[in-house]
Amino acid sequence: MWRFCVLLLFMGMSVSASATPVTLPLDNGLTARANFAPGRPGKPAVLLLHGYLQTHDFPTIHRMFEALAGEGYTVLAPNLTLNVTHRRQSLACEAIHTHTIQGDSREISAWLHWLGARHRGPVALIGHSMGSVGLLAYLEAYPRGRVGKFIGISIVEGRLKHDESGRQDKLAEMRDRMAQNNRQPVTEQFSFCQKLTATPESLASYMQWSPEHILKAAHKLAVPIVFIMGSRDDRLGPGWTDRLLKTPARVHVVQGANHFMDGEHEFELLDLVLKELADL
Amino acid sequence: MRRLFEEVSISTLSAAFIVVVALLVAGMGAHMWVELQNASASIRAREAAAGRKEISQATHALAQRMRDISANLAGWDETRQQLVFDEYYTLWRDVRLKDARIVPSGVVAAALYHKGGDILIPDREGRMPARLPAAPPILVHARESGHDYLYSYFPVHADPDRAVLLGYGAIKFDFLAEMRTVQSFRYTDISTLSVAVPGTGLVPLENLAARLKFSIKANPDVEALHKLFLHAYGRQLLATLLVLAVAAWFTHRVLVRPLRLMSEEIKALQSAGGTLPSAERLTGPVSVLELADVRRAFNDHQRRLAEMHRNLEQSNQDFYDQARRDALSGAFNRRAFEEDWLELGQVGHCRGCNLLLFDCDHFKAINDTYGHPVGDAVIVAIAACLRQALRAGDRLYRIGGDEFATMLRDTPLRMAEAIAERCLEHILVHDFQQYGVAEPVTISIGLAHADSEEGLSELQKQADLAMYTAKRPGNRKIVVYDESIGQVSALVANREVSLVFQAIRLPQLLEFRYQPIMRLPDPVAEYVEALARIRLDGELIGPAAIFPIVQARRLDSEFDLAVIAAIRRDLDLDLPALARGVSINISAPGLLNTKVIQALEALKAAYPARKVVIEITETALITQMGPAVQHIERLRLAGCLVALDDFGSGYSSLRYLAAMPVDLVKFDISLVHQLRQEGERPRKVVEDIARMVLNAGYELVAEGIETRELLDKVTEMGFSHAQGFYFSDSHGQPPAG
Repeated sequence: MWRFCVLLLFMGMSVSASATPVTLPLDNGLTARANFAPGRPGKPAVLLLHGYLQTHDFPTIHRMFEALAGEGYTVLAPNLTLNVTHRRQSLACEAIHTHTIQGDSREISAWLHWLGARHRGPVALIGHSMGSVGLLAYLEAYPRGRVGKFIGISIVEGRLKHDESGRQDKLAEMRDRMAQNNRQPVTEQFSFCQKLTATPESLASYMQWSPEHILKAAHKLAVPIVFIMGSRDDRLGPGWTDRLLKTPARVHVVQGANHFMDGEHEFELLDLVLKELADL
Repeated sequence: MRRLFEEVSISTLSAAFIVVVALLVAGMGAHMWVELQNASASIRAREAAAGRKEISQATHALAQRMRDISANLAGWDETRQQLVFDEYYTLWRDVRLKDARIVPSGVVAAALYHKGGDILIPDREGRMPARLPAAPPILVHARESGHDYLYSYFPVHADPDRAVLLGYGAIKFDFLAEMRTVQSFRYTDISTLSVAVPGTGLVPLENLAARLKFSIKANPDVEALHKLFLHAYGRQLLATLLVLAVAAWFTHRVLVRPLRLMSEEIKALQSAGGTLPSAERLTGPVSVLELADVRRAFNDHQRRLAEMHRNLEQSNQDFYDQARRDALSGAFNRRAFEEDWLELGQVGHCRGCNLLLFDCDHFKAINDTYGHPVGDAVIVAIAACLRQALRAGDRLYRIGGDEFATMLRDTPLRMAEAIAERCLEHILVHDFQQYGVAEPVTISIGLAHADSEEGLSELQKQADLAMYTAKRPGNRKIVVYDESIGQVSALVANREVSLVFQAIRLPQLLEFRYQPIMRLPDPVAEYVEALARIRLDGELIGPAAIFPIVQARRLDSEFDLAVIAAIRRDLDLDLPALARGVSINISAPGLLNTKVIQALEALKAAYPARKVVIEITETALITQMGPAVQHIERLRLAGCLVALDDFGSGYSSLRYLAAMPVDLVKFDISLVHQLRQEGERPRKVVEDIARMVLNAGYELVAEGIETRELLDKVTEMGFSHAQGFYFSDSHGQPPAG
């Protein structure tokens, strides 16, 4: 409980004091936005990445940003542009999604590069939900980065509403569309979107990160990987946590927590994160 | 004004009251209507102002809404997404933009523009301009195909600091729909909203309110109030009219009609000759206590008035009768006669109209002799006899002391004569001795008849003449007027009457025929009898005309005095005829008149040597025998001789002869002429009477001696004197030869 009180104190002090909006012009002409909080020297830097279509204002990320900043960590919480310059809002499911997980990786890379210019210590990547998948994709795309640890909170694949057996078929369909240069957006039930309007390329890029792909990445990546999962996360596929536990990654299960780790569980999450960052 | 209201009837007043109340109600209604109209106008003015305010607020709200929507769209990430990657712009514009509900459904169209002002991709319908009209941000109104639209052009920046311009956005609104959206219009009829669009077709939104034209909604409350007022006022007016009608009926029934009836009754009472109305007209149910009291009092008063009126009518009738009745005889009086005569003349119906005049012979003498009670009894008896003799319905009038009259209408002359005969008989058979009258009471009847209206005017005069004729000695007691009497009438006409009066006043108008009275047996003129006549302007009126007038006018004494004066004049003139003496006829009233006696005494005294004989006619009833005898004695003492004239023709000749100390007895001509009769008895009677008179010591004078044979006879009988045409003509001259 005392940590809770300290956290509230830090949150109250840090919201206005530490968070600084920053922008980053990208190679594709877009400008990305992020909240940045420089930390105390000697403390590692943390890049916090929001979930699918969300922003750094998503509560789980926001609370985490504030807590870590309050702990003296240099924290950068970018908003993926999702091909929207200066994006400030979560992108609706019904919006025309042209962004790809590869583009997300490029933006993460750009931000890490931006962060490297401002922080010379180790960097930890913390992602929430599919943001964790995006970070895995970055790690897979940029294996030689200076990332010291990856913490995936409530990591989950971009789930189709169909059973996973249909993922390959849908993925094949998207690739087929792409092959035919058919860029007509499609509407699918994907992740939390009932009707996601996305180009085949966009949808395919996220669909290719199937649970197996995640598990494979957990096995393959050299970066220390930590998963923090809620015991009551109903967005996960059946046996997903168990399957994670079978990976080399260290897996923390917060009992009673849901997908967003809200309420009193966010403090346990914070404790776990701080504990994981402590050895960085 | 006050006089005006004094003369207004209760009907008019009540009607005026009803009308005033009706007008007042109508006026109040009109006033309320005007007030309602004023209030409505005020409400409409306020509503117009509110409407303008509504429109102004709506345009401001609309502008703000457009700005808000524009800002919302400009700040939307997906807007920036499209400005950077416009590959799916059309899908975004046509589908996503609507699905995302970033802009309301009232947005007709939206578009994004490059920083250079060109539209990203024009839509097929061309709903949005291909280029920006001006440098955004602007809000403009445009009229397109008769429809009003609003455009909001706004910049889209990449960053919140608006440092990086990505392009522009534009949204198009349906003006009226948005106006309805931004505000609920209570006063403005938004369907009438129109915009006065300038030539450019664009109106900056800040100037839009000034260019809007619109109508104000009809206020349903005001209209409902109007209807409510009209319905309420109509009901009130109807109720008022009904109440007024009932009030009018009630007022008329309870107040106006009784008052008007009373007024009519009073007016009827006031009108000249108005008859008393029936009091029952005012009876009936009356609801007003005071009015009932007034009416009851009026009815009582009216009943009393009616009773008084009846009494007055009875009194009037009594007075009328009394005024037209002779109290003594019970016959109608002269006034009634004149009225009936006037009515007869006015009616003009005269077929067989008869006027009968009755005159009691010698009534004055009876009255004077036996006194007024006896005279009254005689009058009453005569009236009773005449009424009995007349037919039922014939009116008997007492038109003078002893004169009666009756009018017989639609009666033939023969029947009128029969009625007159019956009247005469009733008088003759009546026993007047019961009243102490020894002499027979007779009446003279003059009858005039007319068969046409023209003769009516002369009827009185004719009857008068006939009556006078009947009164003359020796005539029938019933005389029907004819033309012969008409000749006499000339003598008794007004002119003749006037002459008689002038002669009395101027005795010089009198002339005399001095008829000699001869001494027998050798006829020697001893003196003359003065027979009076009147001459004026060459016209001569004889005794036959004079004496009826004198007697009718009761001028006996006055005429006697005139005669005496005229004879004195002739004596003074020493006329030869008067050389030996003169005989003067004196009326019975004259014998009783002291002045006449004195005049005769003076005449005798003036001519003591001449013989003066005073003739007293036996036909005139001498009523006051005592004074008459005294005066005779005075005359005889003065040296006059007294003769009883017309002996045997009149009243109680022998009684007069026995009572009066006369010197001479003049046998009436009718008695003398009996001597010419072939019958023995009449002549014997005359001879015996003459012998009796002579034996009594009187001298006898025979009148009417016209022949020698008659002269011889009277001479043989012992008459001392004779006179007649045998000795002189009618002018007193000796007969020729």
